[in-house]
Amino acid sequence: MSASDHNKPTNSPQESAENTTHFGYQTIDKEDKVSMVAGVFHSVAKQYDIMNDLMSFGIHRLWKRFTIDASGVRPGNKVLDLAGGTGDLTAKFSQLVGKSGQVVLADINSSMLNVGRDKLRDKGLVQNIDYIQANAQYLPFEDNTFDIVTIAFGLRNVTDKDMALRSIYRVLKPGGRLLVLEFSKPEHELLNKAYDFYSFNILPKMGELVAKDGDSYKYLAESIRMHPDQETLKTMLDNAGFEQTSFKNLTGGVVALHKGYKF
Amino acid sequence: MSSLFTQIAKQFMFSQTLTAGLEIIINKVLTLKSAFFSFDKLAHKTLTIALSELDFPLSFTVVPTKESRFNTMNVLVTSLTAHTDCTITTSIKTLIELQTQKKLTELIKQDKLDVTGDIKVAQQFASLAETLNIDWQSELATHIGDIPTHKLTQLGKKVSDKFHFTAQQIKADASEYLVHEQRVVVTKSQIELFNQAVADIDAQTQTLEARIARLSEHLPQ
Repeated sequence: MSASDHNKPTNSPQESAENTTHFGYQTIDKEDKVSMVAGVFHSVAKQYDIMNDLMSFGIHRLWKRFTIDASGVRPGNKVLDLAGGTGDLTAKFSQLVGKSGQVVLADINSSMLNVGRDKLRDKGLVQNIDYIQANAQYLPFEDNTFDIVTIAFGLRNVTDKDMALRSIYRVLKPGGRLLVLEFSKPEHELLNKAYDFYSFNILPKMGELVAKDGDSYKYLAESIRMHPDQETLKTMLDNAGFEQTSFKNLTGGVVALHKGYKF
Repeated sequence: MSSLFTQIAKQFMFSQTLTAGLEIIINKVLTLKSAFFSFDKLAHKTLTIALSELDFPLSFTVVPTKESRFNTMNVLVTSLTAHTDCTITTSIKTLIELQTQKKLTELIKQDKLDVTGDIKVAQQFASLAETLNIDWQSELATHIGDIPTHKLTQLGKKVSDKFHFTAQQIKADASEYLVHEQRVVVTKSQIELFNQAVADIDAQTQTLEARIARLSEHLPQ
C-alpha cells in the first residue's frame, strides 16, 4: 500500500451523496469547496510560478508547450484559458492568435487573476487579452463562442467536474476543441511509488519553505490522487458530449493531456 | 531501434525541449542585435522548417512585443502546423548552408530544399538569420557553462559523424549490391519454379515408395 493510500477515503454511500465532494482527502459539503479551494490559491498566488518551477523541476513549461502544440491554434482564433492562473498559456496564445484573435484568461480566484494580469502586462501583452473572474461550472459566455478552450491544472479543483465540462462544451464553437492538462496516474508502479513519496514527503516541506504554506501543498498532493485517472476523465469528456476524445500521457503519466472536439 | 528512440523522445518531450531552447537563444540574441534589422515585414509571419532528421516541424513566428520603451520583436518557436506562411523542407546539413538569401536560391536550384508558400517570407527569415549570425556555441555556453558546451558539441559532432558514416556505409553497400550481387541473385519466379520442382519430386518419390511397398507384398516370402 502506498503512502497516499493510508488516508485515502473510500467511496461510501454517504460520501457519494449528491451534496458532498472531496477537498483533498476530506469529504466536505459541495458549497464549501469553492471557498476552501479559494483559500488555498489566495495563499499561494504570489509564489505560484516559483513553486511550479521548483515542484516540477521546470517541466511544467514543457507540458504547457505540448498543450500549445496540440491545440492547433491559428491567427484569428478565440481562446478561453480557463483556470488560467498566472497566464502561462494565455501569454503564448495571445502571441499566436495575433491582432485578429482574442484570448480570455478566466479564473475563479481573484488573487491568481491579479497576479496573471500583472505578469502579462509586464510582458507587454495587452492588446488581445480579456480577464474574467468566472466559475467553470457557470461560464458567462454565449453558446458557440470559442475555437479553443484550455484548462491546465484546474479541473481537479472544480467542485462539479461534469457540470464544468458541459459548460465548456456549450461555449465551444462547432469544430472547436477542449484541452485538459492535468495531473494523472503514472503508468508504472515504480514511478507511482517514487511520485507518492515525493508528493507526500517532499512537496509539503517545499511549500512550507518557499510559500510558507505546507497545508496548501498537502492539499495539492491529495487532490491529485482524488482526480479521475486517464480513462475515467476520457469517459467524462465523452459523457459531456465531446467527440474524438483522446489523451496523451506525459512524463510517464504524471500528467495527461486530454483532448475532445465539439462537432 | 528508431521506434524506441521515437518513444523515448516523445516521453521526454524532445520537440518541446528543442523548441524551448531555440526560443530562448534566438530571443536572447534578438535583444542584442535587433537594432540592426527591420522586422516590420516579418511581423506575425510564420516560417515552418521540416527537417528530414526530425519527425516534427519547427515553426518560427515573429510577434511584436512592448516589453521595453521600444517596440521589439519576439520569435516564438513551436511545433504547430495549423498555420504557416512558408514551409521549407530540407535536412540539417543543407540548413547549415542556408545563411544568405543568395544561398537560398542556389539551394532551391540544386533541389536540396523544397519551398512551399510565400518565398519572400523564407528570404526575409534568411536575411534575419544572416543579420543575427548566432554563435550557437557561445550562446549555449552562457547557459550551461564552457565545459558542458564543449562536451555537448563534441558529442554532437561524434553523433553526426557516426550518422554520416553509417549513411555512407549503407549507400556503399547498396551500390555494391546493385552492381555485383543483383546479377546472381535468383528472382521470385525462379524460386517459385524451384519450389514447384521440389514438390513434384516429392510427389513422385511418394508414388514410387507406395509402388515398391505394393510389389514387396507380392514377392514370395
